[in-house]
Amino acid sequence: MLRSDQILATVEMIQKEHLDVRTVTMGINLLDCRGDTPTKTGALIMERIADRAGKFVTTCDFVSRKLGVPVVNKRIAITPISFVAGGYSPAEFVILAKALDEAAKAVGVDILGGFSAQVEKGMTDTDQAFLQSLPEALAVTERVCASINIGSSQKGINMDALAMVGHIVKDIAYESRTQNGFGAAKFVVFCNQPGDNPFMAGAIHGVEEAETVLNVGVSGPGVIARALERLIAARQSEGAPLSLDEIAEEIKQTTFRVTRCGELVGRQVSEMLGVSFGAVDLSLAPTPKVGDSVGEILHILGVDAIGAPGSTAIIALLNDAVKKGGIFAAKTVGGLSGAFIPVMEDAVLAEAVGKDELSLEKLEAMTSVCSVGLDMVAIPGSVDGDTIGAIIADEMAVGLINHKTTAVRIIPVPGMEAGDYVDFGGLFGASPVMAVRNVGKSSRFVKWGGRLPAPIHSFKN
Amino acid sequence: MNTQMIISVMSSDRPGIVADVSGAIFALGGDIADLNQSVLRGYLTMILMVNFDRPITPKTIIETIAAVQSSTTLDVMAREISKQPDIEDISLPAKTYIMTARGRNRKGLVHGVSAFCRRHDINILDLATTMADDRYTMVLQLDLSRVSSIVQVREQLMTLREETGLTIMLQHHDLFKVTNEIPF
Repeated sequence: MLRSDQILATVEMIQKEHLDVRTVTMGINLLDCRGDTPTKTGALIMERIADRAGKFVTTCDFVSRKLGVPVVNKRIAITPISFVAGGYSPAEFVILAKALDEAAKAVGVDILGGFSAQVEKGMTDTDQAFLQSLPEALAVTERVCASINIGSSQKGINMDALAMVGHIVKDIAYESRTQNGFGAAKFVVFCNQPGDNPFMAGAIHGVEEAETVLNVGVSGPGVIARALERLIAARQSEGAPLSLDEIAEEIKQTTFRVTRCGELVGRQVSEMLGVSFGAVDLSLAPTPKVGDSVGEILHILGVDAIGAPGSTAIIALLNDAVKKGGIFAAKTVGGLSGAFIPVMEDAVLAEAVGKDELSLEKLEAMTSVCSVGLDMVAIPGSVDGDTIGAIIADEMAVGLINHKTTAVRIIPVPGMEAGDYVDFGGLFGASPVMAVRNVGKSSRFVKWGGRLPAPIHSFKN
Repeated sequence: MNTQMIISVMSSDRPGIVADVSGAIFALGGDIADLNQSVLRGYLTMILMVNFDRPITPKTIIETIAAVQSSTTLDVMAREISKQPDIEDISLPAKTYIMTARGRNRKGLVHGVSAFCRRHDINILDLATTMADDRYTMVLQLDLSRVSSIVQVREQLMTLREETGLTIMLQHHDLFKVTNEIPF
């Protein structure tokens, strides 16, 4: 039998430290779901999702109960919709969005991702129609999440698409103005978007993937925070020194355990459903719950304000240690795999915005050493589309040059200004609106269009 | 004719008990197949399965071990076992779970939890309890092979929690294996 202290440590992680499997996401291929009319295509999509995911939620719940580990979210990712809807108009894209919403509801899934397009080099007419459909599609649906990949380290950044996207983000927020622009919380702009990311809102079932694949997202900032507190307290009571490399080691070992749980759950669910197991995404994804925060780890590791000098270095250490601990624990690793700093979804980060400790610029610096990017950032509704486009361009450039995924999920909250408080509830969280400096001063840059060239792949200094 | 004996020994703990007992068995021509020993608050208990390639009675074994020169009293029991153990069947059942129960110490906690297991036809494979600062902790390894509905057991556990005031968790053994062991 395992030692009692090992058993009790694992139980403690589940009971008190929010150890859970954050998401099990089923990726479903829709490439062959094409009917004579958009309505028929929608019906075929609904049929496909019902067929593949009919038992998905009950199976996840069964495995969760059997093992005694919570599986928080069950989600679906689909083939980027623009590949399925070639030639459709914006109104016809909205028909598909509604069908996807219905399909997700029918199988009991709260969020479905993949209302997406990939335009990193150029946009087809279909891609343009897709973009134009987004404000309405996200306002009339509840469960559908959208994304777009507008840059890659191989192709550069599509600045024509970027210029459009800045304004589309504003339009999406405006269309959902009665919900404080919530629609924009369901839309992510990517550079180097992975095709096997299980986390929303940016999950897609990449065209490189098999028919049906299960990806798992693990989490556990709370588990790591408590492990670090214990380590620090133990050393203090012994009067013994503690150094950063030992802290990194503790994070690695804790991540190992967390990841192994995700791997176990994912493999059992995929085996029961007869679906191939894709990858474990080794991410530290916070939730608005107290004690489940990445920001809290920064406090524990020595900065008294999130965004104070040292914050970027701590995030770098954390992100790297999470990968090192997780990679050994899982047979296949994919998705985003790193620490997330989604402002509204992390109570401590949100608080730092309210105290004026964390600025957009520092947040951007922190995203250069972790996944995923400027995530769940509420900004004043008055910020213009070109400025939003330029904020996105900066974040895309970070991903482009560093050969990593970066993303922007920014919400220009209609009618709100910096310091006002916006609350979307549930997992989407709440925070004060973050100030944007130098508004309206990037239009000349955004209007160039064309492509921001891909970086050279040598001389990496 | 082979004889298989199951032997148990209890004593105050001291260095040399295993050497003394195994020496007596060796002198009788016995071959120790399995041995498990544990020390609890200064008391040692040991259980052994021993093969003899000749007929031997439990009485002979008890007397031989009891005759060992020892500063502590060795309480010995021995019993012949007729059925050959199924060596293939030593792995844990697929429905092995770990239950942990923690709370303020009071009388009857072990009985409350073990009676719950009996009511649900759950076999206790291993059990360790500790007490520190009036906090009682039980860790049980359980075989739920005869349980048809884990959901029902979990529901009933809620009642047990209320009755005993214990914090009780029940998780599959695989979870602890993956979080604490590196596969090889």
